[in-house]
This record gives sequence, C-alpha cells and structure tokens, in this order.
Amino acid sequence: MFSTLSVEAERATTDIKSADIVIGIPSFNNAKTIGHVVKACYAGLFKYFPQMSSVVINSDGGSTDGTREAVLTASVDEKSLMVLSTPLFPIHRLSVPYHGIPGKGSAFRTIFEMARRLGARACAVVDADLRSITPEWIDLLLRPILLANYEFVAPYYHRHKYDGTITNSIVYPLTRMLYGSQVRQPIGGDFGVSARVIDCYLRKDVWETDVARFGIDIWMTTVAIAEGFRTCQSFLGAKLHDAKDPASDLRAMLQQVVGSIFELMDTYEPTWSRRSESVTVPVFGFCFDVGLEPIAVDVDGMLREFQRGARELGEVWSLALTPTTFQEIKKVAGASEIAGEFHLSDSLWARIVLEFSVAYKAHPLLRGQLLGSLTPLYLGRVASFVYETRMMTSREVEDRIESLCVTFESLKPYLAQLWRGRGESKDTHLEVKNV
Amino acid sequence: MSETITAILEGVLDRLQFQATTYLPSLIAAFIVIALALGISVATRRILYRIFKGATIDRLMRRSGVAHILDPSGRLRATTIVAEIAYWSILALGILAGLSVFGTDLTAQLIQTFVLLIPRLVIAAVIVLAGAWLSHYLARCTLVWAFGEQLPHPRRLAAAVRVMVFFVATVVASDHLDFARNVFLTAFVILLGGLVLAVSLALGIGASSRVRGYLKDPPKRPTTQEERSLWTHL
Repeated sequence: MFSTLSVEAERATTDIKSADIVIGIPSFNNAKTIGHVVKACYAGLFKYFPQMSSVVINSDGGSTDGTREAVLTASVDEKSLMVLSTPLFPIHRLSVPYHGIPGKGSAFRTIFEMARRLGARACAVVDADLRSITPEWIDLLLRPILLANYEFVAPYYHRHKYDGTITNSIVYPLTRMLYGSQVRQPIGGDFGVSARVIDCYLRKDVWETDVARFGIDIWMTTVAIAEGFRTCQSFLGAKLHDAKDPASDLRAMLQQVVGSIFELMDTYEPTWSRRSESVTVPVFGFCFDVGLEPIAVDVDGMLREFQRGARELGEVWSLALTPTTFQEIKKVAGASEIAGEFHLSDSLWARIVLEFSVAYKAHPLLRGQLLGSLTPLYLGRVASFVYETRMMTSREVEDRIESLCVTFESLKPYLAQLWRGRGESKDTHLEVKNV
Repeated sequence: MSETITAILEGVLDRLQFQATTYLPSLIAAFIVIALALGISVATRRILYRIFKGATIDRLMRRSGVAHILDPSGRLRATTIVAEIAYWSILALGILAGLSVFGTDLTAQLIQTFVLLIPRLVIAAVIVLAGAWLSHYLARCTLVWAFGEQLPHPRRLAAAVRVMVFFVATVVASDHLDFARNVFLTAFVILLGGLVLAVSLALGIGASSRVRGYLKDPPKRPTTQEERSLWTHL
C-alpha cells in the first residue's frame, strides 16, 4: 500500500509499535513557542494519563528556525508537577517531516496516519503557536473520548469580542444552521478525536485540496458532526497564540475556509437538508472568566474596502446574488458614506452567504472568482458588527452572535429553495422571510 | 403596318408564353419548396419548444458561463437557442433548395458558395463565442485579482482585458473566414503596438520615480501588528 509517511515517520512508528494516546502538533517555524506546547502536552500526559502509553508527535513543514530541535529538547521538571502516581510507560516524543501540500492539513494527515498505525485509542491535536495552553487542555481534549465514549471533542474558548470574526460571522452560524449542532468553535484548531474518527478521516480523498491548508479544521468538525460521531466541547479558557502566519493573507484564508464549507455543503447535502433545528452540544470543563488581550480593529479600513468592493465588484457579485440582495448591498454601500450610519443587517448578511454557497455549487468554473470577491463583503459585515457592538460587553456580543445564528436558521428553507432551484433564483423571485 | 404590329405583339406574347412556360413552373416549385421548408421549420421549432425541456443544457450553459455571455439577465434558455437554430437552418436549407429548382449557373454558384461557407461560418461563430466566454472569464479574473492587489481602477483593467481577448478572437475568426483579413490584422498590430507604447510612456514619464523607488526599496512584509490582525479572523 502507498504510504504517505516519510521514512523517519515510518521508522519511528515501527520502533514505538503501539500507543494508547497520540498528541499531534503541526508546526512551521514555531521555535519560539513550540517548546512550551510540548512541555504542556508532556505534563498533561504525565499528570492525567500515567497509566497509558503515549506519544507526542510534531509534524513539521520544513522549519528552518530550529523548531524540531526545540521539540526534542524541551524538558519538564517532573518533580514540580507533584503527581501522585508514577507513569507506567515512558512518554515518547517525535519530530517528523510531513509529505504533501504545505499546510496544516498535510501535517494532520501524518499525525493521524501514525496514530492509526500505533493503534491509538485517542488523539489530540494542538497548535504549535499556543501561549495559553496548560496541561489541563490535554486532559480536557482526551478524557471525554477515553472515559465518556465521545468521539470528537471541539474546543470552547473565551475570546475577545473582535477575535475570530470568520468563526462568528460565517463558520459558526452556517455550521450550526446546516448540521444542527451548536459547536461554538468549529475551526478552533485544538481537537480530540477517537480512533474511529481517525479511520473515517483517513478514508476520505481530500488531502490534496484546500482541506490540506486552512480548510482542515472546518473539515474535521463537519465530517465528525455530519457523519454522526458523538460530539462534545471542552472549555479550555482563553486562546492566546503567537502572531504569525508567513504563508497566508486574509483573502487566501477566507477562500480556503469558506471554500471548504461550501464544498462540504455539496458533499453532505442529504444530511443537512434533513436537519431542521440545532441542538446544544455538552461542554466539559469548569467555565471561568479570563482576561483577554485587547484587539485593535481598523474598522474604517474595512468599511473603505467594502465600499471599494461595491464600486468595483458588482459584475462578480451579480453572478452570485439575487437581484434583491444585490440591490440591498448597493443601498447599504451608499448609506455607508454617512459616518456612523453603516449597518449590514443579519438577514442581508445571511442571504449573502447562502446565495454565495448556491452560486459556488452552480458555477464550478467561477468558484475562484466568487470566493475572491467575498472578502470585501465579509469586511463590510465585520465593520458593521464592530460599529454595532462597540459599547457591548462580551456577554452581550455573544447574544448578538446567537441572534445571527437564529437568523441563519430561519433562512434554511430559503437556502433549500435556492439549492433545489439550482441557481434559477434570479427568475423565480423567492420570498425572503422578514427576520 | 397593322401586320407589323401584330407580328411584334405575337412575338412578345410568344416570348412571354415561353418565359412563363419555362420559369413559372420553377418559380411555383421554388415557392412550394420554400413554403414547405417554412412550414417544417415552424413545426420543428414548435415541437422543440414543447418536447425539449433543455434542463441539462440550460444547467451546462449556466455553469460554463455561456448563458451569461449570451444574455446577462439570465432569461435566455437553451431551448430557445436550439429551437431558433433549427428554425433558421431548415428555412435556409429550404430557400437554397428553392433556388436550386431554377438550375441556372448563378443559383448553382450561389448555393455552392453558401454550402462551402457554412462549416467555416460555424467554426468562426464558435471561435467568436469561445473568445467572448474567455474574454469575460479573464476579465473577471483580472477584476478580482486587481481588486485584491489594491491596484487602481480594477474595472478598467478588466474591461481592457475583455476588449483585447475578444478582439483577438475576432481577428482569428475573420482570418478563418478570409474576411477583411488585412484590415483586422493591421488594426490588431496597431492596437497592440499602441498599447505597448502607451504603457512604456506612462511608465517612463509618469511612474519612473515610483518604479525607481520600488526597485530601490521594495515593500516590506507586513509588520507584526498587521500579521497579528490576520489571526483574529479565524
């Protein structure tokens, strides 16, 4: 059988033979932070799973800053952990390069492949640039799988109200509306998965697509939910991470994430078309308030970009949007000239996203253009959201996001109608419920 | 005198009779053929409208973007196109068959020229259609790219690409049809040369200092703060 593992990874898997737990850390030039992440993983395994054999695998994309050395040299003072029981097995630590398209998805593929070969019962993946990871994260991501028969553990963080705007304005509402599962951080980046879920992931032929890049997180979450695996969330506190991503920009990130969601909508149409309501997903861990780093947002810049998009990109937007929605956008863009009066409503935003998803399906040759033209609309929505929530507390903002999700859910029949019409909405003048 | 007039009149009548007996049957036959062709074409069009739903072709046309080129409003249907093509093809064939009834050199030459031209016309039409599709596609790519790269006037750039690509397609089609070949080629060369000259002058005169500055001090990668802002989106 063709192996996707590098020679080093193959050899390491053969040497170690088996493990109950695998923790994966994808990396690319994360020398500054990965040592801390490895220590946290090591301490977590030492403290919470002393009876189980475990491996920490760093899957690296060719770092040149000594990331792999940092992984192998990071050490934990075991005495300082004050554990009650001595581990029965040594905790292995590996750093291996991955094959395939450069990106987080390819790194995950190597980790999952190794976990399967080692016969791991549970696997957790955490980002290499985390600064707020603690040993408890390992416990919270793995215990629901090992002891409570859950198969997919999504993270649940406290985030600043302007942090994670793609999640808050597109990914969470859309995933919740489609698959009926209220997983709050579908692209959180830190997950726990069972052996069955790993098998399921590795069977899919998606590793040469956008899934291999930024699309991996939403793909993992969607597959787990849509294929009916038992899902839960674990409260991990705050997510603070190192600020760098050398190979990306907002456009590419948005394209990969949104493109993956739209692609999955096509794949799982029979699943989402049957689900009509969303249900809450249990949250493990002790929830507490945390201090969050403030985030500076250039809202005027976003608004300018939206206005520029409205002036320039009408030709592409009109391919995706119904005339009603298109006219509304033009109206909103016109009104945005008056400072402080800019407002892109939940209903309009939801229709934009849904109509783009239908156009993505209907025009396979124009997908790149459609996704490329979505960025200014997204920035317009974020600007509107920032204006609206400027004086709100985090809790109030969470209520606003809940209200957006409800709007998305109320528009599901509209989506179904558009989807069935296979893009003929322009002629049929669909009724949009007032929400 | 009266005999002469009678002879002339008889001659005229004879000629009229001869021409009537020679050409009238052909003319009637031609009319019948054309009328039949018209009837068949109308019937075919009606049948096609009724039985051919065109759902698959409509979808294909929409997905490929051809429908948008032919009719940006999105109202045009494949059924209409197919039915109208069938209608006009049958009618044209009927007219040609009708003309062939006369059996003269002129009609034979006319028919021959037309028949020989059909495949070339079809190919030229395909070239123009493909060019139109490509021009729209590349123009939109340019538009999105130029917008993303923050270039000034993305729509104008897109329009320039659209005109250029479509013009190239027209030149190729006219070359294929052997129609005003030199005119189109010359116009194309003048346009391209003019464009290159304009860009050179614009760069040389208008943007030389900017280019010099760019070469001297290329733009730096985003600062840490800018990079950080990317992460806050996910």
